Amino acid sequence: MTEEPYRWLEAMGNRREYVREQLKDGSPCFAVSLPDGLLLLGVGMGGGVSKVFEIHDRVAMAALGHPADIERVRQAAIDAAHLEAFARAPEDVSLRRLVAYGLSGQIKQAFEQLFSAPVLAEFLLVEVASVASRDLLVRLRFDGTFVAREGGIAVVAPDPDVERSAARWLEDALAGVTGREAAIGVLLEAWERLQKGGSLSSAGAPGAVPGESPRFPPAGRTPELAWLRRGAGKAARYEWIPMAPPALSAPQP
Amino acid sequence: MTSEPAAVPAAPVSIPGDFLSLLQRGAVAPMARVAAGAPEETRATTVFAFHFSGGVLMAGDRRATAGNQIVTDRVEKIIELDDTSLLAIAGVPATAFEMARVLQTSFEYYRRSQLQPLSLPAKVRALARLLRDNLPMTLQGVGIVVPLFAGVDWTVNPPAPRIFFYDPLGAQFQAVHHASSGSGSGTIRSILSFQERYGDPAPAAMSDRQAITFALRLLAVASEFDSATGGVNPAARQFATLKILRPEGVESVNDAAQAEALAP
Repeated sequence: MTEEPYRWLEAMGNRREYVREQLKDGSPCFAVSLPDGLLLLGVGMGGGVSKVFEIHDRVAMAALGHPADIERVRQAAIDAAHLEAFARAPEDVSLRRLVAYGLSGQIKQAFEQLFSAPVLAEFLLVEVASVASRDLLVRLRFDGTFVAREGGIAVVAPDPDVERSAARWLEDALAGVTGREAAIGVLLEAWERLQKGGSLSSAGAPGAVPGESPRFPPAGRTPELAWLRRGAGKAARYEWIPMAPPALSAPQP
Repeated sequence: MTSEPAAVPAAPVSIPGDFLSLLQRGAVAPMARVAAGAPEETRATTVFAFHFSGGVLMAGDRRATAGNQIVTDRVEKIIELDDTSLLAIAGVPATAFEMARVLQTSFEYYRRSQLQPLSLPAKVRALARLLRDNLPMTLQGVGIVVPLFAGVDWTVNPPAPRIFFYDPLGAQFQAVHHASSGSGSGTIRSILSFQERYGDPAPAAMSDRQAITFALRLLAVASEFDSATGGVNPAARQFATLKILRPEGVESVNDAAQAEALAP
């Protein structure tokens, strides 16, 4: 039946709908470029299932979706990055090439093979640079499409509209914020609001509503925080941040 | 066309009829230089490690030689493989640096992909395997590497750094107090053994500052007896490579700290 173009389009539409349905309860993840480094935050279910991962010296990943599919893509990214680093040099590992010439094609192929399982996960990949404005933040979708931006904020959420509204809200909320702890507070608040309301389009400023500040840690959930340190020193920039209660008041520059 | 068999050195001594005799008759004896016209290979020289009160100190001079030629005095022979592993290379740098690169990549790959660090025994064996894989080069007398390795043992409480040394074929041994390798290692080993038995303080009781000063003096003495060991001379800005391994991680002792440790 898929030999007919119309049938194929219909099958792809059904598949897209199926994947979105599977991802609808996924927990959003965030990435923020700050002067001293790049911050990644995800809030998972705990129990040994993670959402935030180190890929290579300057590259990290956060994801939502099925743990087995996240793992498959994570392994593919780590394999490709280390192969490149060993064959050439660690400095030659580039997120742009890793996504554009590796992961994107593999995920697209999985999505379009109608009689095999698609990747039930969506991704946020980041690469720290020497200055914040050159950091690379890539949003990679379940069908292999991706959007890259330099510096700023990136969000991965199950619903595209929610994702856009969250990114806009965070742009405002994090304007002028340079401290890591303050940024963590805002990101946790964004996550909590998304869980409650589903969208941040009509939400007020962070911490504006008394009593509405996010709980710490979110009940029954495990916040995961990673930091890609900027600057000289050790080649591996990834650090796991142990959770400490952040300042939950309005962010301070 | 005929070719003359290469000259075979006297060592290793063989018993008539044994395997080594057979190798010598075929001009393939271990450690023999098989090609008279072969280029003089670059070698790296003296490295050592000892336990002190703050962890393990691993040190190496910075000289590489080829025969009686000094190739460079800027070689880094102590290599940080990951946050809790150090490798000291002695032998042929071409092979040793490649071994270090293989280990660095494989340790990091394992840690990132498996979400846990490789165990200390596995790291020790990984280096032994590379040495065994290098056996053909070792037998030909080119590419020989005799490294030292230091890593943190997480199975004890509190975690403790350990020192391992190897033979050229890959046998691995744990050093109780200290280990050394390279052309100047005889001198270093003698002094370390003396200090261990009669010194006050013994190396294991030394503070950071005492251990650094002691290591620099060891290299300075070794360089007086071995031309292939680069010395330590603050006036000429000539220092060693010194790294300290603690359970919390690796710390490099920079030139300024070395100069200060040698100051009267």
